[in-house]
Parts: sequence; structure tokens; C-alpha cells
Amino acid sequence: MNAEGTTTSEKASEAAEPEGTEGSRRRRLIIPERFFTFQSYVALVLVFLAAVIFSPRRDGGIVFLDSDNLLNIVRAVSEIGILAVGVTFVILVAGIDLSVGAVLGLAATGTASLMMVNDMGMALTVLTILAIGLTFGAAQGYLSARLGIQAFIVTLAGMQIARGLARIWSGGQGIPLAYGEGPGLAPETFALLNSRTFNGTVPIPALIFAAVGAIAIVVVRKTVFARHIYAIGGNERAARLSGIPVLRVKIAVFAISGLLAALAGIIHAGQLNQGSPNDGMTYELDAIAAVVIGGTSLMGGVGTVSGTLAGALLLGILNNILALNNIDTNVQMLIKGGIIIAAAGVQTFRSRK
Amino acid sequence: MTMSRRLPWRRARAGAVLTVAALLGTAACGTESDVPASAGGDATREKTECQGPDGDYLIGMSQANVAEPYREQMDDDIRAAAEDVEQFEVVFADAAQDNSKQVTDVENFLTQGIDLLIISPNEAAPLTGVVERAYNQGVPVIVLDRKIEGDSYTQFIGADNTEIGRAAGEYVATELLPDGGNVVEIKGLPGSTPAQERSTGFHEGIASNENIEVVAEGVGDWLRAKGQSQFEAILQAEQNIDVVYSHNDPMAEGAYLAAESAGRAGEIDFVGIDALPIPSGGIKAVQAGRLSATFVYPTGGAEAVETAKKILLECEDVEKEQLLETQLVTKENAAEVYKRNSTG
Repeated sequence: MNAEGTTTSEKASEAAEPEGTEGSRRRRLIIPERFFTFQSYVALVLVFLAAVIFSPRRDGGIVFLDSDNLLNIVRAVSEIGILAVGVTFVILVAGIDLSVGAVLGLAATGTASLMMVNDMGMALTVLTILAIGLTFGAAQGYLSARLGIQAFIVTLAGMQIARGLARIWSGGQGIPLAYGEGPGLAPETFALLNSRTFNGTVPIPALIFAAVGAIAIVVVRKTVFARHIYAIGGNERAARLSGIPVLRVKIAVFAISGLLAALAGIIHAGQLNQGSPNDGMTYELDAIAAVVIGGTSLMGGVGTVSGTLAGALLLGILNNILALNNIDTNVQMLIKGGIIIAAAGVQTFRSRK
Repeated sequence: MTMSRRLPWRRARAGAVLTVAALLGTAACGTESDVPASAGGDATREKTECQGPDGDYLIGMSQANVAEPYREQMDDDIRAAAEDVEQFEVVFADAAQDNSKQVTDVENFLTQGIDLLIISPNEAAPLTGVVERAYNQGVPVIVLDRKIEGDSYTQFIGADNTEIGRAAGEYVATELLPDGGNVVEIKGLPGSTPAQERSTGFHEGIASNENIEVVAEGVGDWLRAKGQSQFEAILQAEQNIDVVYSHNDPMAEGAYLAAESAGRAGEIDFVGIDALPIPSGGIKAVQAGRLSATFVYPTGGAEAVETAKKILLECEDVEKEQLLETQLVTKENAAEVYKRNSTG
């Protein structure tokens, strides 16, 4: 399939211009990439239609399309979705972040601990936790990029370290949140994360997820930073030679991933009224699955945030419709595994690498 | 050039085919499963009005983690008991130890319009909100084994771990070591309520015999392998061990394996808790002579279906709490208990 025989420089230049440009040499490579982004939307629509068709019905209505149900789906994928957006940035530079689930757990534990044990206010708690996530991610980025330890190993270790820190922080216990004024209680406003707005319909976490997605899409489409990310993912050596600050960009993408994992952890604590060091176990795998289904290549350089969002929603709809049909959980695992393989299988039709 | 222009489309087609194939796979699974008739039923919105024995009822069972044998047994007990009630259809969800997943599971049950919720919560605080939502919508809620916060549920069914620990302690104090001796305690996951309660109860139980000394403690995290490695170390340090009290059967079995390979299994009595009626469970280990005794930690599955019958079919009010009794299992009654508790 590698009939085109692209040269290194072509790869780099194509990768640096992800969203289409003029010039026939480029275009012939960019068209298929558009398709691969498109692929996740097509899959999303198809899964949605399948869900409508196979939905149970009640009083002639389609249960799946019930607005409460649809909003439940978005709420249920919001944490995984936010993690997946962060992981997308890392994967775009051909890295991987296995630590996001554990960082989510650390952030959830820290959030609950700071508010319940240390009586810290909400704004300060949120800022502190976000700073911890950002720093944790940046440290992983530094180790991976500066010392050249593979991202897989660094973040595998980071996963252990974040879990260990969370356990130490809370003494191994989950910390339940109780709301109210005074010492030993969390501020009432934090309970907003567990509530719904617009007349009690739209869950707040779903809104935050949407906002994070929108911001990330703009960042990826409009910024020089994003061009650098694509260039590094396409060909790191070429990117370095063309003067792109590879180290800084790499640290930044890991920092973004850590920051968003911390944000998801804060939401997690709010949604569940608890922060526990065991929170977010294996979430990193769901997040990576969403990224892959969204059409981002694990080899780096190609992919989009909007594809990831589609991938996360697809997983959410899939979980929902399987549950509504009472498919055995063991069979559910098989189906989800099959979908991921299918999505990755489509990737092998990509032109390069 | 033409070549390279056509290639993407060929790829695109192949991609589309794969995607569709994947979706068809999903779809096929959807058709094979039966959508429960009552999921689309009509009466789900009038839950306050009891329909009695003439209705059909969809019951949602939200399990914290089926990977634990005890919880698999709980599901099996519910399945077996509900089979005898023709008005009941039970659907199961497994949260795989994830609080978020369990919240979503319950939400999905509510979307399906269940008539009654049985839930064994993974943890109390995270599940309280969604259970409250179900309860306030008029869905009766039976909480199994682990509690939730507040009182937005219809009945809690569970065993008293402190009581079980005490029974184990008294058994050690009066039957195994009436003249006193050295005991090793293998504990469950630190911080978990059952581990704390089974320990507290045990120490109360052995208090009557002041010649009993707990000479060492190991932390086995409920796991067989960890029970084994922990007791291996203790065997090195302690020369005189008479009884091993383990917070569950798998860790007791692990400790037994360690003693066996050290050639000291004959001089030690092993006592566990749970007594699951499955081939790998504690009752079989007692029958085989590896454990001296184990104590039944009842799942409450059958009792939950009984309560569901009272609420839905007989339109009765039920007690807020139903505490289950434990039972001592020794070689004498092991076969009989296994037969009675086993669902398969």
C-alpha cells in the first residue's frame, strides 16, 4: 500500500499542515486523512442509528432517544471524554499517557481531602489540584522528552506513583464529601458538579466536557502550537531540524494531559460525592480507545480532537444501548473489544508508517 | 498519479466496510438478546399503586463487582430464587468495581423503567445520590451487603461482620484452643469495613479466654496469593502457631499452602469466613480437611427476592433492615450446608 513512497520531508510538511492546503502533492496525501477523521463521524452516526433501531420501546416511544437518556450518555462519558482529549495531544506527538486514570484518582482524592480535611475553599482547591495535574504531566513530559525514556514506561511508572500518592494522601481510604458551611464540610457550590442546569436537564459535567472539547478543537485548528505538535508527530527529527522547540512542545502536551486528567478528577469527586485513591482504575484504557476509534494514529502526526470526541460519544452510546438491551456484561466486553479492533484495523489502511 | 488518487478511495471503501461489519456485529447481538417485555411495559409509571400478583415486574440488580466469587454467588442466588416467581424478570448489571459505572448502571435501569431495584453498592457515598433518585421516583430499593448513606431505601439486607468475627473468635476460644494458644490473624484489605469488623468481632470473641494470644498479623488484601506470602513470612518468625484466623477463605487457603510447603500444616488449625457453596469455596476446603472451620457469610440474594415478592406481589410494607445469621461450617455439617446453599 505504500505505493506513493513518500520521502521524509514530504511526511513532515504534510504533517505540519493537517487541515488542508493547496498544492497537488500535498492534497493526494491529505484526502485519505480527511477520510480517517470522517470515519469516526460515520461510525458515530451508524452506532447512533443502530441504537435507535435496537432500542427498547415504551408506550410507542424509543427509550434510547429519551432526552434524559441522551443526556445521561453524555454525562457518563464526560470524564473519559475529557481524559481522551488530553491523551489525544500526547498521542499526536507519538507519545502515550497511561497515567491519566491514576492522576484522575489522585485529583479526586486530593479534591475531597483539601475540602473536607483541610477546609480549603473551592476555588483554591480546584486551582491547587489543576496545578498538581499540570505539574505531574509536565514532569512526565520532561522525563520522556529530555531523558529519552519511552513515554510508555514513564507514564506506566507515573500511574504507579500517582496511585501511591493518592493512597498516602488519604491513608488508603475514600473520603466522602458532605456539604455545608463550617469546618469538615465542603462548600455547597461544589455540589453543582452533581447537578443539572436548564431546569434540571443538562448535567454540569456534560457542559464542562463540551467546553473542553470546543477549546481543544480551536487549539488544534488555529494555533502554531498545534502545527508544531503535528510536525513532531509526523517526523520528530525533521521537526527538530526545522527549528521547532520539540522539548517544550512535548512537555506541554503531557502537561495538558495531566491538567485535563486533574480536571476530570475534580468532576469525578463532585459527581460521586467522594474522592478515593481507587478512582479511575483503567480509565486510561477507555480514553485511549476513544482516541483510536476517533481516528488518531498511535504513530503520531495524524488525528483530530473532534474525532476523539466522536470516539468517546460512540463508546458512550455503545455502553448505553448494550445496557438498555441487558446484554451480558461479559459479552459487552467482547463487543467493545471488537469495535476497537475494527477501528484500529481501519487505521492500517492508512497510507504510511 | 491516477493510481495514487484512486488508492485513497479504495482504502476508504475498505474502511467503511469494516466499520459497517463492526456495527452489524453489534446489531446482531442486539437482536439475539430478548428485550424484556416489561421494559416496554405500561405500568412502570404508576409505581405507587401496587398491582399485586397480576402484574409483570422488571427487577434491576446492580452488582458492584461480579469478579468476586461472593458477588457472583449473590447474583446466582437472586437468579435461582427469581426463577420460581413467574411475574419476575431480573436484569443484571456489573459495575466492575467502578462507582461511576454503577451510577450509570442504575440510571440505565431507571431508563428501562424497572419496577424494583436491588443494589449491592460498591461504595456508600458515591451511590447514595442515584439510589435516592430511584427511591424518590417511587422505585422500591433493596440494598444488599453494603449500605448507602441516609435512609432512601426500602430494605437493607446484610450480615453483621462483627457478629461473624465474634462467632469465629468464640469458636477458637472454646473449641479449638480451650487451654489457650497462639493465633495468627490474616486480615482483609486495610480500610475496608468488613476487614475492620471481622477483626474487632474476633478480638471480642477470644477475650473470654485469656490464654489466647494473637502473636502475629498479616495483611492479605482478601487475596489467596497474598495470604500465602504473608503467612510464609510469619512462619519464619513464629515457631509456635496453633490457629490461623483469616478474614476470608481464600487467604486461609493461601496460608494453608504456605504451611504445607513448610511442613507445618498438620500442627495448625485454619479458620476462614465466607463459606461459599462453590467448588473453589471454603466449604469444600473444610470437607477436604484443609480448613478446620469456616463461617457462612450469607449473600442475601434469596432473601432479596423474598422481600421483592412481599413488596410487589403481596403489597406489604417491609422492615427497614434484615440482618442475616451466620453459620459455623465444620467437617460434620459441610456436605449438608453445601447442598442447601448451592444453586447449581
